[in-house]
Amino acid sequence: MTDTPPLDPEMRELAAEHALGVLSGEDLAKARELELTDERFRAEVARWTGRLSPLFDEVDEVAAPPSIWAVIQRRIGATASNDNLVELNNKVATWRAVAGGMTAIAASLAIALVWTLPGTQLTPEPVQRQSAPAPMVAMLDDQGQGTKVMASWDPAAQQLVLAVSGDLKADPSHSHELWVIPKGGKPSSLGMMPSTKQMHMRLAETLARLLENGATIAISVEPRGGSPTGSPTGPVIASGALTQA
Amino acid sequence: MLHYVASPPADFCFLSMLSSGMELPMDRMTGEFAASDARDELAAFLVAVSRGDRSAFARLYERTAAKLYGICLRLMHNEAEAQEVLQETYLTVWRKADRFDPAKASPITWLAVLARNSALDRLRRRSLGLDELEAAANVPDGDPSAFAVMVAEQDSVRLRHCLDTLDERARAMIRSAFLDGASYPDLAAREGVPLGTMKSWIRRGLQRLRGCLEE
Repeated sequence: MTDTPPLDPEMRELAAEHALGVLSGEDLAKARELELTDERFRAEVARWTGRLSPLFDEVDEVAAPPSIWAVIQRRIGATASNDNLVELNNKVATWRAVAGGMTAIAASLAIALVWTLPGTQLTPEPVQRQSAPAPMVAMLDDQGQGTKVMASWDPAAQQLVLAVSGDLKADPSHSHELWVIPKGGKPSSLGMMPSTKQMHMRLAETLARLLENGATIAISVEPRGGSPTGSPTGPVIASGALTQA
Repeated sequence: MLHYVASPPADFCFLSMLSSGMELPMDRMTGEFAASDARDELAAFLVAVSRGDRSAFARLYERTAAKLYGICLRLMHNEAEAQEVLQETYLTVWRKADRFDPAKASPITWLAVLARNSALDRLRRRSLGLDELEAAANVPDGDPSAFAVMVAEQDSVRLRHCLDTLDERARAMIRSAFLDGASYPDLAAREGVPLGTMKSWIRRGLQRLRGCLEE
């Protein structure tokens, strides 16, 4: 075992600058070279990255477009059986706390929610139509098991929000998949629920068209990752019809 | 440390309405437990992903993509490029999840650093005017910066305190460099100061920051 001399001050400074990301040109090339060849330099860069990483807290979450996941799945060679056409945005803890108070206030919330849908900052303004379609809500019932799921749909912004009160039974080998069933039509998947408490998503145009007055919203239990067939295969644990708010 | 559970964005009217309109048990302890649960869960997903578990990968993506996309957008200032970087990042996660060491970094920080490094690579490549292929040939597989061991991941309260001891200018420059991907030349041009001046502002800021953090 050999004693390694400490990094000299100049190198330490370069490591800090490299972690901060300000270097360019020759200095950047030098830092990259050192990172590959000098373990002490690498460790110092890592130490600075760790020091600065709480700054990530300042970055707001932005729902990624659904097409991204489809591409990733294709590129890792997964079967594109269930392209995720939803944006998933999960704020688990907050929602765990909120959901406790859901049941009592769900009804009054239904109307408020659709007018205050959280938008992502980069979502383009929805095109103003001659007469904006009315927001809709559905109360999904689980036949008396004590769980209520409230869905609200804003057609103008193509945003769907679900809030769950009580507990959707979850186990590690299964997922909850959300469906829309147009009147007299076949179920189409709206994607997997990322948590058993809430979800918030923007729907692609083709799916958005299916969420019309009288369509049924349902949640089924499927193998982890979603129905292998593209139609519900497991038990439907909650469903309800969309009506105008 | 970076908490996985981000505070809701300001436009999350639903929540603000709830908290102002009625008393909800927003128990601090509940939040703490949930944060540590989330961290353990993400770590478990990463371990499963390293064994090629696709459904764990899907769950990991569901839980983390919004945060990482936010980071990519902030760095790239361009949706199309941010989306490409996001894809690259998760493809790297899929291939290199075994490089994650839960003893050394929280999963979300590890992912955030991966995303940031991919974004920075692309930004610097762009600024050098390098052809993508040429640049790709120069970047060795497993660029260590992307997997850097995180030693002593900082407590966020402490970092905030220490940033507050810097002068306003240095603080703003450091924040912008880390989050917006601004380089020395970018910052110097933006502030209208010579490159050397910008370098000495930031170097002094970093020195003070280290002094404070190591106290």
